[in-house]
Parts: sequence; structure tokens; C-alpha cells
Amino acid sequence: MIMRPGQRLLMPVNPGFVWLTLLLALLVHMLANMLLWGRAAWAPDLLSVVLVFWTVHQTRRVGMTVAFAAGLLVDVHQASLLGQHALAYVVLSYSAIMVHRRLRWFSEMDQALQVFPLFALAHAVEVLLSLVVGGGFPGWWVLLAPVAEALLWPPVSLLLLAPQRRAPDPDENRPL
Amino acid sequence: MARATLGREPPAFFRQGPSAFSRLLVFTALALLVLVADVRFQMMEPLRAALSVLLYPVQWLALRPVLLLESAKSTLGAITGNEGDLKSLRQQLATQSHRANLAEQLLLENRRLRELLHLQQRLERPALAAQVLYDAADPSSHKVILDKGEVQGLRLGAPVVDEFGVLGQVTRLFPRVSEVTLVTDRDHAIPVQNARTGARGVAYGNTSSHADALELRFMAANADVAVGDLLTTSGVDGVYPPGLPVARVEKVERRTDAVFARIYCVPVALVAGALQVLVLEPVGADAPARPEPAPEIKPARNGGRR
Repeated sequence: MIMRPGQRLLMPVNPGFVWLTLLLALLVHMLANMLLWGRAAWAPDLLSVVLVFWTVHQTRRVGMTVAFAAGLLVDVHQASLLGQHALAYVVLSYSAIMVHRRLRWFSEMDQALQVFPLFALAHAVEVLLSLVVGGGFPGWWVLLAPVAEALLWPPVSLLLLAPQRRAPDPDENRPL
Repeated sequence: MARATLGREPPAFFRQGPSAFSRLLVFTALALLVLVADVRFQMMEPLRAALSVLLYPVQWLALRPVLLLESAKSTLGAITGNEGDLKSLRQQLATQSHRANLAEQLLLENRRLRELLHLQQRLERPALAAQVLYDAADPSSHKVILDKGEVQGLRLGAPVVDEFGVLGQVTRLFPRVSEVTLVTDRDHAIPVQNARTGARGVAYGNTSSHADALELRFMAANADVAVGDLLTTSGVDGVYPPGLPVARVEKVERRTDAVFARIYCVPVALVAGALQVLVLEPVGADAPARPEPAPEIKPARNGGRR
């Protein structure tokens, strides 16, 4: 296996952890909507960050089907057009699949730069759908949302990869 | 090292399923199908209701901290003491009790007058208290979610008011929650009556110019509308009972080149911050049925008689 210099070997992921973090991301996303910023357009979408993260790192487990289902749930929660977030997340997931081999060659900071266009594309899809169907323009603050999501990328990757970085039984001779 | 201890499994060369691009096409088509079915044909309400039931436990869980924070806030507020609040509330109570006494008298008078006129008695409407759970996060619409749904007997189209005036209307009904479209939503229109002049009009939600406002449209450029006029529901729509305050006129722009005046109003209800609301029964339920259209009179052939 070819890896970038300095990259650590990872443990296999626990599938339960993947689903749990996705559910937690949905929960936090809803909570932030209800508690912190209401219907502000600039609010980052944590669920989409976690979704892209798992699509990049576990391409065979989390893909467009999960993205579509999550999008429908978000649509119902936000009372937006049914299918709006679903389509945005599917596009997001597809572009994440397209870049997932390249992305692992960069450090977390550079990865944030690389995923920024993905989030921008997803928000563009959302705004475009809303404009076409007649929902109206959410305002220019929406331009800040992909920036906020890209800024969330490094902490989210550090957090979600942490369980895989633990050694099974570390000792003096096997620091892994 | 055994293969299973590595986080990166080697790719499955076979059995990878359809390619990513074809999956993208399938899901895009599916999403667009759902979107069109939802927007144009309103066929997706069962799916929406099913998903909302699925989402309810997560929502319930997410609401715990919100409710906790609110109760903590109210407790703190009670501890620090709201003398000023109390004072203004007492004053409000005094004026309102005066008005309530007046209303009793007017009610009596009204009933007698109506009996005199053999008019249909207006029924006391049952109302259901509800709580606003959260603002819907879609930035291009103005909706809130209530904690009461079909199970509690809410009905589609029911008007929602708070202690100051009309807040909106129930537009989507789920088993345990419901969606209320606020009067400031751009798709919402409400028939109103100017309390000063009695002129009827229709106020539309207006999110384009400033955030929480309404626009009174189709009033002639020389119509008698002044800044500060109170707009109340007119009751001609068969949804809202008449006489509920809706909005107050904030700005009137009259231009010589336009037929209609541009009239901006601010809602009387706490559109952005209402927590406790009252859901009324829609008026249309007990209104007399629309009369059958008179049979078309066909022009007789060959003169008058057969």
C-alpha cells in the first residue's frame, strides 16, 4: 500500500461508529438549527461535513444511498422542498467519491482547501433548486456556509479518525 | 501483518455494483422526481409524514437541551426578579380587564342586536394551546414547527394566533408535530380590513425588502391608508375569524407613475419570538355551503316557445 510520508497506519473502522457519528451529526445539526442560529443562511451544515468525511474514508460503506436518505431527513426537518437537500447531498457524495483517492495524499489543512469546492457546489445546487422552484434567494450570507464547512473539516477529521489511530495493544516495542 | 488489521481494505475488483456516475444519475433522477411530485402534485405528504415519524425520536432527543435551557432561562429570570416586567404586565392587565368588561357588555349588546336581526349567532371557537418547537431552518421561507399534531386534533388550515395577533396558518400536518406558515412568508396571503376606514385588502408576506414584514398590495395610489393604521382580519376568507389584529402600517409610498401604492406593514404578533401560541378552529368548517350554481339557461331556439 502506498501512503504519503508521515501518514499513520489506521485500524479498521468500527461500522457502528460510522453510523453513530452520522446520527450524532444529524442531531447536532438539528440542535444547532433550533438553538443557535435558526434560519441563518451562513450556518455550516455539520451533517454534510461528516457525510463527505465518511464517503472519502469509507467509500464502500457510506455512499450516495446514505446521502440521499440523510438529505430526505434534513428536508423533512427543515420543512424545505422535499428532495432539495437530497439532491445536494447526492452531488456532494458523488464529488467526494471522485476525489477520495487524491484527497488522502494531503494533510488535513490541504484537504480543507480541496473539499471547499465540493461544499460550494452542494450549496449552489440547493440555492439553484430553491430559485427554480420558487423558494426565493436566501441572501448573500449563504456564501459563507461552504467556508465554514471547509473550516470544520480539519477538526472533524481529527476527531473521527481518532478511534482508528489507537493501537490495539500498544507497548514499548509496538508503538504503531 | 494480517490483512484485516489495516484500515484500508484493498478495493474489490469485482462486484463493485453500478459505477458512481450511473448511481449519481439514478439518485439525481429520483431526487428530482420527489421534488416535482412534492411541489407540483403534492403527492409526497405520506412520505413526509412517515419520515417525520422516523425523525421524531431524534427530534425529541435534540429538543431536551433546548427545553432545559429555556426552563433555566425562565428560572433565572424569575430569580433575578422582573419588577419592571411585572409592573408593565399589571398595567396591561388593568387596561385589558377594562377592555374585557367592555367586551362583555358589547357581547351582550351584540347578541341582542343579532337576535333582533335574526342573524346567525357566532359560535365560540374551541382553541388549542401549543408551543413553538423551532424555526424551520430553510432560509428562504418563514415557517415554525409546533408541538401539536394530528393526534391532538389539529386541522389543516387552522389559524394560529399569539397574545398580540395573527401568527400564521397550519400548512402541514404530521402525526405529532405541525408546520405553521407565518404571515411574513412570501407564499402567504391574508385578507385584512383597515380598522380605521373599513377598507378591505390582502396583505402578502414580504421577505424581499426587509426581513419580517408584510405588504398590502393592490391598494389604489390614492387609497386612504395612513402610517399607523391597524389591519385586522376581515373574515371573508373562511379561515380566520374576523377582527384579529394582523399588522400595523409602517410606510406608505405613493408614486405618480404607479397605479398602486406600496404599503409596508409590520406584523403585530411576535413573528420572530412567539413561544406559546393558540391554534383556532378554521371558520370555514361551519360556514354555510356554497350555493349550487344556478342551472344555465340555454337560449331557446326558434323564437320563444316550443
